[in-house]
Amino acid sequence: MTTGPTVATDRAPVRLERSIARLLTGGTYLAIALLAIGFGLMLVNGISPLDPAPSFDVRQIPADIVALRPTGFLWLGLIVVIATPSSRVIASLIGYARAGERRMVIVAAAILVVIALSVVIANELAA
Amino acid sequence: MIVGLILLGGGAAAGLFGSLLGLGGGILIVPLLTLAFGLPLITAVGVSLVCVIMTSGAAAGVYLERRVANLRLGMTLELFTAIGALAGAMVAFLIPEHVVEGIFAVLLVYTAVTMARRREPAPSVDAAGTGIVEGRSSEDPDAADVAGSAAVTDRESTPFVETLSGPDYRVHRIGPGIAGSLVAGVASALLGIGGGLVKVPVMHVIMGVPLRVATATSNLMVGITASASAIIYLIRGGIDAYAAAPTAIGVFIGASVGSRVAHRIDLRILRMLFVLILLYTAFEMIQKALG
Repeated sequence: MTTGPTVATDRAPVRLERSIARLLTGGTYLAIALLAIGFGLMLVNGISPLDPAPSFDVRQIPADIVALRPTGFLWLGLIVVIATPSSRVIASLIGYARAGERRMVIVAAAILVVIALSVVIANELAA
Repeated sequence: MIVGLILLGGGAAAGLFGSLLGLGGGILIVPLLTLAFGLPLITAVGVSLVCVIMTSGAAAGVYLERRVANLRLGMTLELFTAIGALAGAMVAFLIPEHVVEGIFAVLLVYTAVTMARRREPAPSVDAAGTGIVEGRSSEDPDAADVAGSAAVTDRESTPFVETLSGPDYRVHRIGPGIAGSLVAGVASALLGIGGGLVKVPVMHVIMGVPLRVATATSNLMVGITASASAIIYLIRGGIDAYAAAPTAIGVFIGASVGSRVAHRIDLRILRMLFVLILLYTAFEMIQKALG
């Protein structure tokens, strides 16, 4: 009597894990591509990896990318690297919420709170 | 240009060794950047964190695709590795460099001893997604998931720890697992490593998780663990974009190659060579710590 809905729910973890797998792989390859472009521009412009790098300024990234400056691509690539695991947790939160797994939703939300705390604390410490 | 290519090659060597010997590569990045290229330790740790997030990302994707990693268990424990990493990153900028170098030297010796005593090669931690030698096949994921998902409909009424178990194993002793995760998080943030040296033994020996699942799940957790502290390193100026790019690309390439050639290489000789490199690096690190 309940076979249909149960089977659909049982396959939800497989679908969720496949979606997350694609997200992780895609994020990693996107980050590699951005870092490779940035590194290529470093070589073209004669910049050594041991030269002092400009400090991180998220507002400067669009202008640097438009101007084909390596730092724009490098910082964006690094942001993608660091943000990809968090996007995996967001995807998990959505997937578990759809499946009605409240406890895993709480776990995912708590992880995101810790990540958000990292951003807040880092900004406080930097200030 | 030459320095960039050398750094790329050094990163590739670290990724290759790490992949062939079942390590994330982070254990080699920090000594490479500090001892060979003279970067400050805090910057080397920041760059290493970027490298371990990236190498774990692609590998974790494949572990999940092949249904080797335990997502529920990984997410539950990574909540605590992230808390540990957050705490570790907050104090990392306050601890004197020579103290961290001393801790790192101890870690290198511990890793060398562990490698020397290991009889079987660990499951490869790859970056391109082809190195899971011992992983369960993904050819029939629905069938593979039957046992694990049988309890989906009544998971909410089942004790939480039981819902973390896999289809053919039971997870127990979550308390020590949480404690180990906190320690792994602090170690990751202070030393720029993935923390698998702590997480895998805790999950496998204490919590009863099969080794291949523990390794894959640890790999999945590295991303959140390292990103929690990498955010602080990034915003506080602990990540050098110029040094990070060639190193991370190199590590990724090395790990990808390693995962493809691992089955063709006699790892016994390689492991002993690696042990010698680790011990030599530990000696150099101790010398640096002592000024």
